Amino acid sequence: MADPQLAASSNSLFNLAFVSYIVAMAVYFFRLAFTRVSVVGVPKATRAGSVAGAMATMLATGGALVHLASIVTRGMAADRWPWANMYEYSSILAWGAVVFGLLVVQRRWGYGHLMGFVLAGAVLSMTSALLLFTEAGPVVPALDSYWITIHTSAAMVASSIFIVAFVATALYLVKDTAERRVARSDAEYGGSTVGAAQLPRAPARHEGSGGPRPEGYTDPSAGSGGDAEAYASPLAQREALSPVAFPLVPLVVVAAFVLIVWRDPVATLIAGSAAALLGTATWYAVPYLPPAAKLDALAYRIIAFGFPVWTFAVMAGAIWAQEAWGRYWGWDPKETGSFFTWLLYAGYLHARSTRGWRGRGAAWIGVLAFVALMVTYYAVNLFIVGLHSYAGV
Amino acid sequence: MTQTTAATDTRPRESGPRGSRLPEIPGPGETFARAWKALRRMSTALKLLLALTVAVILGTFVPQEPVIPTTVAEWRLGTSGPGEATAAAFDALGLFDVFGAWWFNALVVLLVTSLTGCLVPRIRAFVRTARRRPAAGRNLARLTHHVELRTPLPPGEALDRAETAVTRRRFRRRRIAADDAPGGAAQLATERGHAREGGSIAFHISFYVLVTGAMIGHTFGFTGQVNVVEGASFADTRIAYDLAQPGRWFPFAAHRGFVVELEDFSASYLETPSGTDPGAEAPGDLVTGGALSTFMPTDFSSRVTISEGGEVVREEEVRVNDPLSHDGVSLYQVRFGLAPQIEVRTTDGTVLYTDSVILTEAGGFVWQGVAPVARTEVDRQVALELILLPDAGFNEQGLPVSRSPEPRNPRLAAVVWVGELGLERNRPPSEFQRDRGQQLPQPVILELGETAQVQGLPLEIEFTGLPYWSGFQVSQEPGRWVLLAGAGLMLIGLVPSLYAYRRRVWVEAHPDGEGSRVVLAGVALHRKGVFAEAFEGLADDVAHRLGAVEAPAPEPHLETTERKA
Repeated sequence: MADPQLAASSNSLFNLAFVSYIVAMAVYFFRLAFTRVSVVGVPKATRAGSVAGAMATMLATGGALVHLASIVTRGMAADRWPWANMYEYSSILAWGAVVFGLLVVQRRWGYGHLMGFVLAGAVLSMTSALLLFTEAGPVVPALDSYWITIHTSAAMVASSIFIVAFVATALYLVKDTAERRVARSDAEYGGSTVGAAQLPRAPARHEGSGGPRPEGYTDPSAGSGGDAEAYASPLAQREALSPVAFPLVPLVVVAAFVLIVWRDPVATLIAGSAAALLGTATWYAVPYLPPAAKLDALAYRIIAFGFPVWTFAVMAGAIWAQEAWGRYWGWDPKETGSFFTWLLYAGYLHARSTRGWRGRGAAWIGVLAFVALMVTYYAVNLFIVGLHSYAGV
Repeated sequence: MTQTTAATDTRPRESGPRGSRLPEIPGPGETFARAWKALRRMSTALKLLLALTVAVILGTFVPQEPVIPTTVAEWRLGTSGPGEATAAAFDALGLFDVFGAWWFNALVVLLVTSLTGCLVPRIRAFVRTARRRPAAGRNLARLTHHVELRTPLPPGEALDRAETAVTRRRFRRRRIAADDAPGGAAQLATERGHAREGGSIAFHISFYVLVTGAMIGHTFGFTGQVNVVEGASFADTRIAYDLAQPGRWFPFAAHRGFVVELEDFSASYLETPSGTDPGAEAPGDLVTGGALSTFMPTDFSSRVTISEGGEVVREEEVRVNDPLSHDGVSLYQVRFGLAPQIEVRTTDGTVLYTDSVILTEAGGFVWQGVAPVARTEVDRQVALELILLPDAGFNEQGLPVSRSPEPRNPRLAAVVWVGELGLERNRPPSEFQRDRGQQLPQPVILELGETAQVQGLPLEIEFTGLPYWSGFQVSQEPGRWVLLAGAGLMLIGLVPSLYAYRRRVWVEAHPDGEGSRVVLAGVALHRKGVFAEAFEGLADDVAHRLGAVEAPAPEPHLETTERKA
């Protein structure tokens, strides 16, 4: 049934895409480091940054095409839709996140310099795919239905969108913390401590996007000299954040996750170090991130995009359950998991228009919702006995 | 809310004397009013939503009795899970049946009450605003988005042309004559985007529809489980089902009474050799080495016929994902197994028992079940405990195993029990009283078609056949269409509630010499960034239609106001 040659070429294409994503991620971060942010928070790449950005875009696009070929050949090898086990699903999640990032975040909304983080999410998802690798093969009868195209593809689309949304939410929380701390220290000492020491002429800081430009203001990134003041506040933002906590928190979270799921010390070490590096990159990137308000708006737009798709996925799942098992809802762990994920994203959307919850409160619900999504996907499939556990890995 | 509290505090109270320092105790009416007010607050609804999420998370990670009763039983006994004491605590809190617990239902009721409390005023307000015609605009030049144009057309004509532009964008419109308009010039007031609030209301109403559908299904529906052996049949009547779950008001008469016969059943597997010994395949060969293959069912299906009044009206295949619907009753393929056919006779030839025994899988392709052979004499009953190996062989330790789930080389072992087994009770035979009976020392082992004597009893057992049995779920779901409608309403409401946005656009035409001076202005309540772009497009379109040029005067003003937004 399964064609071993096609399956093998699918695997090598996967590896090629994996490597090009990692390189593209590195180049995107390089681009981020060569970005300048003006006082009003307009990020602008330097020449080296623009070149790096173009290269990274090419690499990521090429990687996505190779990845698509890998997914298609996998489907041809198994003679079915290529999303019936966790390897295939994780692989497509990564692909979806990259494509959504490239088309919507970078092209349409112009946040290309955040793509390094999106690619990091994709790389993590692909790593989990590698750890959950299963040979191409047919599926059990319960999965053999046209609903697998409808329900599973909707769930995949929504999940990849939510990966990108999580990136935006997490970056918002980081940037917001930095902005708040800088604002507080300004209020206490009457000036940005570090930034002011380095650059004595620091002008209106931390105004974010919302503030009006001061009279006679010129865009500092336009001129070659005299744009030192533009960096005063952003650099202070980095100084305001702990360089220890940033690698430490992702390290602990990711290492614990990998250790619990795969019980493999080597994988734990590698994933933990990668997460720590990512954390450090985030810490370094804080000054170059768009203002918190913009990141918040970005996260909202992405979640508002993914939520109806997720709603549809849950509904289609209920209809499929009716066809396959004779009941649309049985409080099976996968069903309850997708339901609490849905509740949390619904909570996020409501929190964003509730006084007292707007901003950080809503963002934390968004983070929880993403954690719930991951739990629904990994923990419920791997650890909890339920009807969906036939899906196994 | 703080304002409201302050307002109530300054009001003189009847409950306490004026100037008293005692804390005021609100009366029951006031307490209720306060609770109602609190319940209607969005932040309360949000907290309830989060509490519901926590409950659902608990229901995911603690095994649920209605879903997997065996695991729950193990947790209670302490054989698995966090231990007996924790299980007892879980029991006290109702954590083994979260979705049936009173506190979960209370939470749902609170949330629904809160939702109703929010929704009723919103619907009223929505109906009011949706009926109202677009309002006239005042001080258009002060709005964030505004453009002034000069056109050679007279005001009436200019407004007509502008109206075509907004009509194409599906705005609601109202023409206001110069005498009635606040700016003293003829105006076209337009509005769009009620779909946002309407969609949001539809989305929230869909919950009521979904709950109604689920309740209809629960109250008037029916679910039954039935296992049928190949060649046998059952009728859609209450007694036919092994396990029946009728809704509270499901009428007896709603059973259709048609007869379903299982013509035959087929199962196919995909075999993946997981061992290193590919030579261990020969069927019929009892002694094999090497590891067992893994088998994955690829397809299983039942061919059934449906008869009404003795006549076959339908013949169809039922498989997973492909249920059969007949006369409002759905038949789902849910499980299957093997049902060895045995005949037990006394040595003088009297047939004591002849039937197919439905076995259940005990793991490792081994099937188990009990045949109640003789139950008339209460103190001398006979039962056979059957163990079936569909593809018998021996493993490396020399123990009997089944190498595949397919009946390639079936062996049936029958352990004979005699004594006061309690088979006459209204219980499944597998729950016979082992402690009161006596197990004969030597089990009978049979190949297909073989007959063997029972040692120590004047009985012989014949293994006459090995058909499959097929397990169906039979349901009547009267609330199904309501549920589908609710789901549809939710999606239809959700999309506009996130993407539609309310905005108003006004066009005012002042006579200006031969032609007119036209002011185009707009304001959006949500998605202001999107509106900014849309307004530009509209302004260009209107200018083009009017053959107009932009009036230069207000340009710098426009720049500064736009930056603020």
